[in-house]
Amino acid sequence: MDLMLAILITVVGASTPILIAALGELVVERSGVLNLGVEGMMLIGAIAGFVVQFHTGNSYLALLAGAGAGVCASLIFGFLTLSLSANQTATGLALTIFGTGFSALAGSSYSARPVTLMRPLFPAEFAASPFTKVLFGYSFPVYFAFIMVAAIWYFLHRTRAGLILRAVGENDQSAHSIGYSVIGVRYMAVMFGGAMAGIAGACFPLLLTPQWAERMTAGRGWIAVALVVFASWKPFRLLAGAYLFGLVMTMELYAKAGGGPLSVIPSELWAALPYLATVAVLVLISIRRDASTNAPACLGKPFLPSN
Amino acid sequence: MQFRLEKRREPSKLMSYATPVAAVLLTMVLGAVIFSVIGYDGIGAVREIFLTPLTNSYKWQDLGVKAAPLIIIGVGLSIAYRANVWNIGAEGQYIVGGLAGTGIALLTWGMTGWWILPLMVLAGMLGGMAYASIPALLKTRLNVNEILTSLMLTYASVQLIYYLIRAPWKDPMGMGFPQTRLFSEAARLPTIIPGTIVHLGVPIAVLVGLVAWFIMSKSVFGYRMRVVGAAPHAARYGGFSENRTIWLAMLVSGGLAGLAGVLEVAGPFQRMVPGFPTNYGFTAIIVAFLGRLNPLGVIVAGVVLAITFVGGEVAQTTIGLPNAATGIFQAMMLFFLLAGDILIKYRLRRVMPQATAGTA
Repeated sequence: MDLMLAILITVVGASTPILIAALGELVVERSGVLNLGVEGMMLIGAIAGFVVQFHTGNSYLALLAGAGAGVCASLIFGFLTLSLSANQTATGLALTIFGTGFSALAGSSYSARPVTLMRPLFPAEFAASPFTKVLFGYSFPVYFAFIMVAAIWYFLHRTRAGLILRAVGENDQSAHSIGYSVIGVRYMAVMFGGAMAGIAGACFPLLLTPQWAERMTAGRGWIAVALVVFASWKPFRLLAGAYLFGLVMTMELYAKAGGGPLSVIPSELWAALPYLATVAVLVLISIRRDASTNAPACLGKPFLPSN
Repeated sequence: MQFRLEKRREPSKLMSYATPVAAVLLTMVLGAVIFSVIGYDGIGAVREIFLTPLTNSYKWQDLGVKAAPLIIIGVGLSIAYRANVWNIGAEGQYIVGGLAGTGIALLTWGMTGWWILPLMVLAGMLGGMAYASIPALLKTRLNVNEILTSLMLTYASVQLIYYLIRAPWKDPMGMGFPQTRLFSEAARLPTIIPGTIVHLGVPIAVLVGLVAWFIMSKSVFGYRMRVVGAAPHAARYGGFSENRTIWLAMLVSGGLAGLAGVLEVAGPFQRMVPGFPTNYGFTAIIVAFLGRLNPLGVIVAGVVLAITFVGGEVAQTTIGLPNAATGIFQAMMLFFLLAGDILIKYRLRRVMPQATAGTA
């Protein structure tokens, strides 16, 4: 029973950053933009969050710093792809290469310096019994991720602004001709995606491993991009997908820690499993034919007004 | 005074050659400024990273050795990207190619014979092709995005190295280090200039670039790749199957990445070690773009990126610049290049303030 609870709590921790980053990318893609720089923005958010946590000890400020850094990084992408209509695939890749280098440079003097993990949101009395601990034992980003799932669903499907954003992603020429600013909407979406990726990155030193390590997001940003496809661009399916991946990653941790039936399989296979599972999930989703038809029609195409 | 973008009738040839050069120069200028602002010797950094590898003749051999894998992989990627096939898992195909070559080297360990190296090279290319055929199969059969699958397989291949050198391929005399034994003489790539580290892979890289340029500009294969990428509808109308093109693009880029992998493991490394993944596969993406997806351009771009690698190491020892700075310079080059692309299709036009009549 205790082990089950421990596993559950680890799953929640592992899933949260992927979910937050994927939610941001979902909104970006719904507006018709494919930003493959999520991994890079996460790394920039991770180092920004780490530095602020290290110097101030204020985790909320650290999350805010992560968000701000993510927005700055996303603006490089936005300027190149939206204002200069550069190739989105190449620019996203460039952003990831840049984020990897930038975070490594900024973090080079912080290696092997521990920070404190973010404290739980609720007072300790709430999490006294095992059962309440599963509900009330987490820090702010975990609840934030859940709230954002619902909020983004509500925004996309129940608000006028969400309708405009989807219109821009489905048919940019029409949205433009009835007077909406396609580029403006996409800038907002890209910045939102940057903020979410930055927060997701900051979760790594704040929630998972309380120190800075180069490339510490280890491809989770790419998994987040894959999850958006898996979820057919729907927020609640994203929630399920992120927790599925959290489970896979937690199995890896327990297999590495040794013991139990999990250690029969080589630890390297466990480490490769999240990536192989991503491929498997993409295959499964493609076999169900309806998946790709749900993609925003203008995804990845630069917008140039025809008149 | 204001500027306005105006669409050109035809893409500018001049701009497509000028923007890569401008991107490198802008990176040097802005790089010097940025690194000065954040407290490093900015001008020194640019001098050491971009100029020292060229002026110091002792560094030329390093340039050749670093440029070779970048050119070989970059040529393959330039062909794939021309056809709009986004293979970004070249690093994984490079790794599997290196592993396949290692497998032959270990099987033939202690043997002699001229056939061992060619067999390793063949295995390496086949290994890279096999690994690239997974995303190709998934893309053509199930329309699964090749960007994500090829990248995920890269992460998985790194774990494959760790597993093989920790357990079945571990050097029995290696005192527990996770690495294979040193290859026998017959499985090592010979150096071509005595007294240097310049190995056979360097002329092979130049050859690959030249052959690819010839094929891309003079053959039906090259025409097919260019047409499918530039005008998919016309290509379909002309009878070029899209799936066949995807297969060709993935196999060529995967095979060349595998070739680079086997040349690296048989040349500079001479054994499989955990540090074998050196990100050449990712840097080659920058090489392909900086070379304008043209094999001859890729040769030049491969040398430019090799300069930054060698120079980055110089700057680390001489002015204490962290190694990560190299990556920032490389990414900046790509940013400037992509930003400059707009000048190929558009021109900047100066807009004069409207002189209104009747004002005093």
